[in-house]
Amino acid sequence: MKWEVRISYKKGVQDSEGESTLSGLKTLGFNNVDNVSAAKVYLIEGNLTHGDVEEMCRRLLANPVSQDYSISEVK
Amino acid sequence: MAYKVCIIRAPGTNCDRETAMCVESQGLEAEVVHVKRLMEGEIRFSDYDGLIIPGGFSFGDHVRAGALLGKILKERFGDELAQFSSDGKPILGICNGFQVLVECGLLPGNTAQSALTTNLSSRFECRWVDLSVETSRCIFTDGLSGSIRLPVAHGEGRFLVTAGELKELTNTGQVVFKYAQKNGGSAGGSYPENPNGSIDDIAGICNKEGNVFGLMPHPERAFYRFLHPRWTKSDESESFGDGYKIFNNMAEYIMR
Amino acid sequence: MAGPISLDVDDTGLMTISRDMQLSLSLDEMKALKKYYHALGRSATGIELETFAQTWSEHCCHKTFRGEVEFEGKIVSNLLKTTIAKVTSTLDHEWCFSVFEDNAGIVDFDGDTAIAFKVETHNHPSALEPFGGAATGVGGVIRDILGVWGEPIANTDVLCFGPLDYPYEKLPAGMKHPSFIYKYVTAGIGHYGNNMGIPTVNGAIYFDESYVGNPLVYCGTVGLVKKSRYKREIRTGDVMILAGGKTGRDGIHGVTFASVDLSTEQERSVVQIGDPIEEEKVSRAVISIRDKGLGSAITDLGGGGLSSAIGEMAELGGCGADVHLERVPLKHPGMQPWEIWTSESQERMLVCCHKKDVEAILGVFADEEVEAVVVAEFTEGERLRLMHTDTVVGEINISFLFGTNIRTRRVATPPERSFSEPRVRSMDPAADLLAILAMPNVASKENVIRTYDHEVKAQTVLKPLQGLDGPGDAAVLKPLNSSWKGVVISNGMNPEYGKIDPYHMAACAIDEAIRNNIAVGGRRIALLDNFCWGNPERPDRMWGLVRASQACHDVALAFETPFISGKDSLYNETELGPITPTLLISALGVMPDIRRAVSMDLKEEGNSIFIVGATKDELGGSHFYKLKGSLGKNVPMVDAASAKTSFDMLTKAIDSGCVRSCHDLSEGGLAVAASETCFAGGLGLELDLDKMPRKGELSTEKLLFSESQSRFLVGTDDSAAFEKAMADTVFSEIGCVTDDKRLRITRKAAEVLNIEIEVLKRSWKNGL
Repeated sequence: MKWEVRISYKKGVQDSEGESTLSGLKTLGFNNVDNVSAAKVYLIEGNLTHGDVEEMCRRLLANPVSQDYSISEVK
Repeated sequence: MAYKVCIIRAPGTNCDRETAMCVESQGLEAEVVHVKRLMEGEIRFSDYDGLIIPGGFSFGDHVRAGALLGKILKERFGDELAQFSSDGKPILGICNGFQVLVECGLLPGNTAQSALTTNLSSRFECRWVDLSVETSRCIFTDGLSGSIRLPVAHGEGRFLVTAGELKELTNTGQVVFKYAQKNGGSAGGSYPENPNGSIDDIAGICNKEGNVFGLMPHPERAFYRFLHPRWTKSDESESFGDGYKIFNNMAEYIMR
Repeated sequence: MAGPISLDVDDTGLMTISRDMQLSLSLDEMKALKKYYHALGRSATGIELETFAQTWSEHCCHKTFRGEVEFEGKIVSNLLKTTIAKVTSTLDHEWCFSVFEDNAGIVDFDGDTAIAFKVETHNHPSALEPFGGAATGVGGVIRDILGVWGEPIANTDVLCFGPLDYPYEKLPAGMKHPSFIYKYVTAGIGHYGNNMGIPTVNGAIYFDESYVGNPLVYCGTVGLVKKSRYKREIRTGDVMILAGGKTGRDGIHGVTFASVDLSTEQERSVVQIGDPIEEEKVSRAVISIRDKGLGSAITDLGGGGLSSAIGEMAELGGCGADVHLERVPLKHPGMQPWEIWTSESQERMLVCCHKKDVEAILGVFADEEVEAVVVAEFTEGERLRLMHTDTVVGEINISFLFGTNIRTRRVATPPERSFSEPRVRSMDPAADLLAILAMPNVASKENVIRTYDHEVKAQTVLKPLQGLDGPGDAAVLKPLNSSWKGVVISNGMNPEYGKIDPYHMAACAIDEAIRNNIAVGGRRIALLDNFCWGNPERPDRMWGLVRASQACHDVALAFETPFISGKDSLYNETELGPITPTLLISALGVMPDIRRAVSMDLKEEGNSIFIVGATKDELGGSHFYKLKGSLGKNVPMVDAASAKTSFDMLTKAIDSGCVRSCHDLSEGGLAVAASETCFAGGLGLELDLDKMPRKGELSTEKLLFSESQSRFLVGTDDSAAFEKAMADTVFSEIGCVTDDKRLRITRKAAEVLNIEIEVLKRSWKNGL
């Protein structure tokens, strides 16, 4: 089983990587960009249930105070 | 008239002051220039006799280390910089500056594609390393031989090229420094002698002509002997350190 | 919260308002407000009450330290003034440039250059968001230095965590595991300091079960101040420029939050991540404004945001202020005036200047791509007027805001506990030594230290790891090109001793911070105190706080080392209980010539080894007892008068050039200190315990592991010169440096232990 976990900042929490990428893209002439958000993706393989991966997010991968996570199975 | 070296900075560059100090100690004039002033056309590269891209985290190293400053230099100033380089003027990229030179294509300076990517240890590392001085055309290391010791401090310093391109770099004398064992022997990729997992232990390279040089270690942090981690063991506290020669060579080359 | 709030209600009603608005104000404080508004004949506005809450918060005005305490049948009034600050005023050293007044303590250094030092804590935010909490802790203390017109040159950090192997099943719901907190706190500190280009040169990491769920994150910054450019002169008509990051909803109620125990619903609004690149830009601009002589005063925006900073500036200038909140650049559209006023968004500074300099200052900020706007103007009188697009949303009398001093009254009673010495022996000293070297508090922190850049700026002459990676006592910086003078930074902290008696914990922390500084060649030492304690409303916690403060007074006075700055973080409690009382002492010394700096590693075979100071029966709170599962009773005590003499003599010896290596004795006593000097130097040692100066008859384990204070292990290549310099102090030659790479210790001609230094080093390196 292969799972994709996506970790991103919650709305309202500062995402300086996203902000800085936005201004960088504008500097290079991409003027139609309105917003950039950065996220981190983990691919996790093993004999794992959705619940196992959820537990990983809760305990290590994401900080529930500042980050959202989403889990999807990779076929 | 004094010779002028441009030390370029962007938000997040943070080694410009000590680098400028090293340059000025060699009788050159160092001018720290915000990249914004270049973009606004206030000044031009051709006003200078040498260029240094110092260490730090330009634009926060977001996307990739050195990527944004590298792309700005390439897309906005590509021709000017190509001219600067082909005029034989010296260009030095230290740490983040090396990453910038690779991102903008001034290094390795041929068709080869190279990259400085995340350390194998996947973390930022600050430590002194032994370097073997390779036989190269690099004007900055003229007169250096054997091995020297400099500090590294980076999270993305793992130099990568394809096997074929590695061979070409080696054949054309573009490999300048390699991470080494204490006794000068090859690090053979072993940690922590090779602190980041660079291919063939490469720590610094130059272009074919030898006037463009990028390295991950920080020569400006080894300018004086009293910065060496073991200086208290010896009595040489007043003399210069292993990084001195690189700035000294740059000055002599400019004033030749 | 928009409408007027009537305080014309009974006591219950007042406390309901305080609670509902999360003001954390006491009944006495609410009653004072009721009286104030009654005299004005009007209701309060929300933004006004928020301002009182911020200004009168524990974080901003240190109610506990400035209040009254019942202690041993007497009333102690203003603990700060009668203990810690009293040392400074009694000593009255002329080299103290600014103490306890501004954002940081400042002492003379070289000519016009002075050094500023400040240490802050960021515990609660780091418990919730370890990466962001620690990062913004670093960012915050850097701004304290910018807030005295200082140029940051070095960071320090001292961290306390729960045990990394703490069982998951014991962890209460929602509490983060110590290993998670450890990983992200250290990452956050490295991230911010490295990105700012400020070297992290000194620190410590300490583990104790009481820090589970309540880590301690002490962040310090040292900076260079130009005395001639240190300006704090505000006058009517001057304006205030807000510069830096945009203002958002982040961190609202962070200050009042420092006075309540952690609970889940308050989490979100205090979470911040921090942007070191923004602060790097702000920092460059501030230093440039300083060097151009443009500003008239400056302060950082920390706890309470604008609501604290603007009022403080107006009070300093003895004037009023008109604030235009709609001018503040916002991150989140639609923010309410009170949110703008109290937001604790990071990377912001407030620069005051004469009107004629506004354009020039805005120009400097624009050059660094930093957003800056004029937000307020100083006015005649003492009225703080808050406006939002021409509407007055609040009006406060500044003398009432700052002059109202509602004294808290706390009670201090000693906890009922008894201590006894355990009957434990060291059957195998070599095995015990290896075990102590691997204990998390003693073991190598190299894996963390190397993720911090400690070389950037090229000024770090003595680094955190010395010789072949041994643990250095103190860092030495050479900050000026034109001078050989050095800045010496060290710290001391002994939470284990505080479990027996906070008085001796504080005394030992001071001794340790000073002796670490002395060991490398530092002198003319100034101290900083940072208390992290449990809830002071509990008499047993309060008792410890008084005891520790008294020790600060007694010991620092005897050493003639003034306190120049300090901070307290109280209410460090979770559902698991309070943290163990923890006092960090940071020491800032100077040395006339860094070429005389001494590192701890052994230098060459044949050097004589001296021990300075007497060893006593003091294993209480030691790591040896901890290893054996005991706490003990005989906590180390400081004899400051004799220690001062021996420290002064050691400084003379160092200046004479005869000291080749010097290491202080701390956790693990002689055995650990000797091991560290061996593997740091790659050389062996031969020591004879019979030659150690001691008090009374001591068993072998006491000689090896006692943690008696004020002791050093010194290597010299000129015994005669060293003996002459040390004169009549307590010291003795106990052995010499060998080239056989073994630590060999004997007593009564019998071998006590004999271990290869590689074995010692492995144990030390693999402990964490």
